[in-house]
Amino acid sequence: MTLTERLASPWLTVRVQIALGVFFVVAALPKVVDPPGFAHMIYNYRIVPGAFVNLMALVMPWFELLTGIALILGIWTRTSAALIGALLGVFIVAITFNLARGNAIDCGCFDVTAAGKSVAERLQDMRWVVIRDLGMIVMVAQILWATGRTRPATA
Amino acid sequence: MRFKRHIGEAATLVAAAALSALVANALARSERKLPLVGTYPNALKVPEMKAEDPPAPAPVPTPALSPSDTRAQAPSEVSSKVNAGGAAAPKPLAGKAGAPAAAKLPLEESPLSRFPPHPDKPFVEISGDDAAWLVARGILVVDARRKKDYEQGHVAGARNISPWEGDADAKITALVNEGRDGAIPVVIYCSGGDCEDSHMLATRIYGGGFNNLLVYRDGWPDWVKRGGKSATGPEPAP
Repeated sequence: MTLTERLASPWLTVRVQIALGVFFVVAALPKVVDPPGFAHMIYNYRIVPGAFVNLMALVMPWFELLTGIALILGIWTRTSAALIGALLGVFIVAITFNLARGNAIDCGCFDVTAAGKSVAERLQDMRWVVIRDLGMIVMVAQILWATGRTRPATA
Repeated sequence: MRFKRHIGEAATLVAAAALSALVANALARSERKLPLVGTYPNALKVPEMKAEDPPAPAPVPTPALSPSDTRAQAPSEVSSKVNAGGAAAPKPLAGKAGAPAAAKLPLEESPLSRFPPHPDKPFVEISGDDAAWLVARGILVVDARRKKDYEQGHVAGARNISPWEGDADAKITALVNEGRDGAIPVVIYCSGGDCEDSHMLATRIYGGGFNNLLVYRDGWPDWVKRGGKSATGPEPAP
């Protein structure tokens, strides 16, 4: 079995799908439970107009939850993976933009309460979040690539 | 064809998420509920980051202190500052041991004479000493932190209005409708550091006829540090 075949194997793809899905479900749950806390996190990014902060805080966690569940269950896999990839792209742009302008924030990725860290610690955390999200983009790419290869041509 | 199918699936997921969010929000308790349209005038304004400043501390749960153990401290010095625009600096407090020129001042000032109204701006920042002085004189205190943080510990007698929670508008309306004199000082606090919930709340209350809102800059962590009188548990029923 070549490296390409190994990377595209259903064995690996299913595990990547489940891992990515679990990431998103776990990330979504605290936000689903506490929308005001997540609204505060979104507000701290200072890139969403005030009128849309609450709507985003309400809908985005459910979107993360449903796409994560779909990925775990293997339902609409390519669509879910593509949507998660788009979300990750938005997260990376938002955090990188705030890093560039020195706005130190808690990312609100897995928790909706302020961690009580210093500005320097928050900026360092933001760099790690970008790297982590890039890693998850690689997982999305694997799913899309592997499922695209194995998909019947007539589908 | 395949592209259309993916678009359909994506639209279904988005619609399901939106529907779930709306239903969950409708069923949520008031402190977990959000109005659909946010009112955050500074949502695009980046705050100034000061590397030397301590971060907004996590809420510090403290046990309720019995009245016999604690008391609101008298101010040790005048250190109130005003926000940009500059209101008149409060006069030095009378009666302070060792305070220069204290003897020239009246023995007791009223909150209104020491903190005159400032109708031209929503709030003025005050120090912990000033907050303690005002609390000791029974003025209204509002805790702008989340309800769960308030219940873990708050300034004794403080009300709770979190600008992030769904019942904020109702509570502000109720406060405005009490017919209070808007010139009497009201102290608002949150978690100190870079917490701006108290400023946000002050801006919203300001529209309701209150023109003497004082933001306790260092907030709850400072109150705990100075041993101010505190309480725990839910807000008493009006």
